[in-house]
Amino acid sequence: MSNKLTNILDIKRVKNYPLYMVIPAVFILLLLTIYPFIYLIFVSSHIWPISPTLPRIFLGFGQFTYLLQDPTFIESLQVTIKLMVIGVTIQIVLGTFLAILLSTKTRITSYFTLPFMIPVFISPVVVGLIWKFMFNYDLGILNYLLESVGIGAINWLGTPQNAFWSVVIIDTWQWTPFTTLIIKAGLDSVDPTPIEAATVDGANRFQIFRHVTFPSIAPIFTVALLFRTLDAFKAFDIIYIVTRGGPGGSTYVLGYNIWKTAFYQNQLGLAAAMSVIMIIIATILAFILVRIMKGLLERE
Amino acid sequence: MIGRISRTELILRVSLLVIFFLFFMFPIYWMVVTSLKNTVDIFAIPPKWFFSISFENYWYIMSDDSGFLKKILNSAIASTLNALFTLLLAFPAAYSMSRYKTGGINLLMWFLSIRMIPPIVGAIPLFIIFSKLGLVDTFIALPILYIIINLPFAIWMIKSFMDEIPKEIDESAYVEGCSTTGVIFKIIVPLIRPGIFATLVFCFIMSWNEFLIAYIFTRKEAITAPVGVARFITERQILWGYITAGATLASILPMLLLIIFQKNLVRGLTLGAVK
Repeated sequence: MSNKLTNILDIKRVKNYPLYMVIPAVFILLLLTIYPFIYLIFVSSHIWPISPTLPRIFLGFGQFTYLLQDPTFIESLQVTIKLMVIGVTIQIVLGTFLAILLSTKTRITSYFTLPFMIPVFISPVVVGLIWKFMFNYDLGILNYLLESVGIGAINWLGTPQNAFWSVVIIDTWQWTPFTTLIIKAGLDSVDPTPIEAATVDGANRFQIFRHVTFPSIAPIFTVALLFRTLDAFKAFDIIYIVTRGGPGGSTYVLGYNIWKTAFYQNQLGLAAAMSVIMIIIATILAFILVRIMKGLLERE
Repeated sequence: MIGRISRTELILRVSLLVIFFLFFMFPIYWMVVTSLKNTVDIFAIPPKWFFSISFENYWYIMSDDSGFLKKILNSAIASTLNALFTLLLAFPAAYSMSRYKTGGINLLMWFLSIRMIPPIVGAIPLFIIFSKLGLVDTFIALPILYIIINLPFAIWMIKSFMDEIPKEIDESAYVEGCSTTGVIFKIIVPLIRPGIFATLVFCFIMSWNEFLIAYIFTRKEAITAPVGVARFITERQILWGYITAGATLASILPMLLLIIFQKNLVRGLTLGAVK
């Protein structure tokens, strides 16, 4: 064992060089994640005001037991999961549909790919602001269009139900292109032979998609699904810009709740406790993703 | 889904694509158009589709009063520094993992799991630590913090480019008497140059667009463009002209970079899952 350690520390040993090349990246990431994580747990057991002059009071698990009975926290957890499940489902279904449209074999479709990518590459702040402007009740272009076709104005951000769905629309606008790109890449790599064989055998197109195409794109499909799930779990920017968690807590997602508790209400300790719970949920989700990705990589 | 399709269906498919095209492009069009209207035209009902172009929003945005150009410059500094830091850390790691399988699949997955951490969770302890170190609202804070977000991406991305270069090329170079450094700089680097550029650009865009961390870790001096745009929402009113002009300015660079590097950027976004 000690022999092994001296080998690793021997800087003249050429066999160690690959290891040394990985170390800076690993070290920096450990420094920026593991140490803050331990510190986070420490903070979460205290009442911890932002101002360093105010006293810190040790509570142990007090804040966790408080949180598990706090209706606002439970509600924000529910909103986060609801937004995640609904948003991601729509984005995957719409993304699949668009990917199929984009794989139509004509020259025109190739011109559509680039414009479809733009939403993913602009800042969520910009996206939130444009939509907030378009959703405006009196001045927004959307209500003008709705009124001119005789449907009547919608109070997009004014009622809890509507605000929730407006956020879903914005999220869908920004991230459907992402799922589309991944699923399209999957479709492009499908071997056409079994599809032709199935066509000859008289299968209809839905059957072909269900039994031939889908199984072969299933791996890449899970990649899209799980990436989106974890990103949707982090939701903050659009909520902050468009709804600030309201009205009536209908868009009060966990990310926004933590930010507000920490940097608006000055309760870093309580926010840290929420963060610990959030990181546990994220770890479970990530664990599932990593297992699936690992399975895919090993199959290759 | 490839099979032959009828003419009617082709027309149907293309028209659906056009509808989706409008859905995805209209908000961007509306942002740019609004930024070019004067205050009266912005609030006109019915909305003006044709109007005389006014640059008043841009003049204000670019004046010293708003200080927005300073924020754009801050964004550029933070994003450039971060892209360079990230590349310096990612390149050797990716090389080692691609050529020597260092750490195997578990190390690769550990990097991936870092990407899954919600940024707000890291923000609280890091904010306390950075406050103690006096790093809040400095030009070095964001480039360092964005390493957490970008490094896992960059390692996966560069590794996926390197994996495509056959090992036989390295081996024949070694046979010719080339050193490891020689192989890296004379063979690997030139061959994956597009990948390196795409990685730099990818990190740059991600840092450029980031809001939450920038919002928490800057106060006055180091504020970035997205935070600057968000600040045009004031207690009393929302300054739509300035917001759309600022948002347009903040989006020009990412959009240009997307047009230039489109294919390779998608690879970064999906951690190399899409080739």
